[in-house]
Amino acid sequence: MLGPVPPAVVSVVAALALWQLATSVGPLANLSIPSVTETAGALVTELTSAQFYIRLWETIQMAVAGFVIAMGLAIPLGVLIGLSRFAWRSTKFTFDFFKVIPPIVIIPIVILVLGPTMQMGIFLIVFTLVFAMSIQTGLGVRDADAVLLETMRCYGMSTWKQIRYARLPSAGPYIAVGVRLSASAALVVSIVAGLIGGAPGLGKSILLSQASGDDPRTFATVFVLGVIGIAVSRVVIWTQRKAIFWMPT
Amino acid sequence: MSIGITISDVSMSFETPTGTKDVLRNVSYSVTPGLFVAIVGPSGVGKTTLLRILTGLTKPTGGTVQVRGSAIEGPPDGLAVVLQDYTRSLMPWLTVEKNISLPLRKKRIAKSELSARVRESLAEVGLEGTEKSYPWQLSGGMQQRVAIARALATRPDLLIMDEPFASVDAQTRFDLEDLVLKVRKDFGITTLMVTHDIDEAVYLSDEVVVLYGKPAGVREVVSVDINFPRSQIETRNDPRFAELRTHVYSLVRGLSEPTEVV
Repeated sequence: MLGPVPPAVVSVVAALALWQLATSVGPLANLSIPSVTETAGALVTELTSAQFYIRLWETIQMAVAGFVIAMGLAIPLGVLIGLSRFAWRSTKFTFDFFKVIPPIVIIPIVILVLGPTMQMGIFLIVFTLVFAMSIQTGLGVRDADAVLLETMRCYGMSTWKQIRYARLPSAGPYIAVGVRLSASAALVVSIVAGLIGGAPGLGKSILLSQASGDDPRTFATVFVLGVIGIAVSRVVIWTQRKAIFWMPT
Repeated sequence: MSIGITISDVSMSFETPTGTKDVLRNVSYSVTPGLFVAIVGPSGVGKTTLLRILTGLTKPTGGTVQVRGSAIEGPPDGLAVVLQDYTRSLMPWLTVEKNISLPLRKKRIAKSELSARVRESLAEVGLEGTEKSYPWQLSGGMQQRVAIARALATRPDLLIMDEPFASVDAQTRFDLEDLVLKVRKDFGITTLMVTHDIDEAVYLSDEVVVLYGKPAGVREVVSVDINFPRSQIETRNDPRFAELRTHVYSLVRGLSEPTEVV
């Protein structure tokens, strides 16, 4: 952050001012939408309650577990299907099919099997991420430069070396984009799992505060989620710069 | 040890939606070990196709390419390549040192020997001390030098270059040409180079092979009887240089019939 006023601060302050104005004197004044000050009060209450941190920890656990399992499955699988033309052609169709199914659609089925549990949330995250991430990884492996691969063949380098030193690094930027989108999606799905499916965590907090009409608390929780979202994307982007150092970001 | 390469009746045709397209027909030519040979011809004549066949990456539809007395089935042992597009043939995720040593590691060379070879070949191309840099931190001309160093480090018997200096500026091009002359003097590797630059072909080569026609065949093999060492100023002002470049130019443009150059 350089300069006297970071640009992000300007838009944040403007947004908060607009919100406060709209909910106190503006068009949203007499609705049940809480103002900035009310939300801030609720936020302080939340941040000082042990219950909140338990819920937060549950959400983080669910999102991280789902994300790690999904990446652990999808990246090796994507590499394998990307290496074989036959495997690529035969899986592309089914994976594209599953990829577009929104997690909300399968929540009822998953609840029937697993109940409103953390496992349910984790499964939902894995299901949402694994197909798109496999395809993304496969695309990267297949995108290795033909000139580079031919150069390696001319020098008599083995297939393994071509995979290790050309195909995997070529997939790096693709995997990075996939990981970035997946990390945010894991967080979103972990909330959806609580909000719609009753899985533990902050999603369930929102569900409960909404049901009891405690709107400032709902907004305060949503605000916390926004902050976590920014933190997640910052961490992921920082990691990527280190891992894919040869590409400008 | 430099090796020869014998091209016998090589033909190449591609199937296209509009029918069969013959690119090369009955190309025959024998490269003497240790010579530097340039392959020239009009754009699209099939120079690069021929070069791909010589590397073993593409199988010809007819004829054979023989190295060490047997027809090649893939890239032959002891082959090194330098391609036009250095940004694509070097690995951006590896340092200069690792780029150069990667092809060597299959040969079970000791670690100390490995880094000595990297150092030697970088010194040969005038890039001492760039071991830890990444290719993209270097200029285009320097990257092509890295590609040449990688080729030399393998101690090749046969060097194949496809338009190696087409992507660098004119000044760098002259420097790289002189580097290639130095490599020729130091190692005497059998070298085949495709180029569209006729002056460059004459300047560097012992023999210039002119491809011409559709489908293309060898129109003439022009022997460049100008002594080594050559230099950018003296050689290019040599009347014999002017004669040869005019002759090759006429052949490439289809302006003159092949003649027997004695």
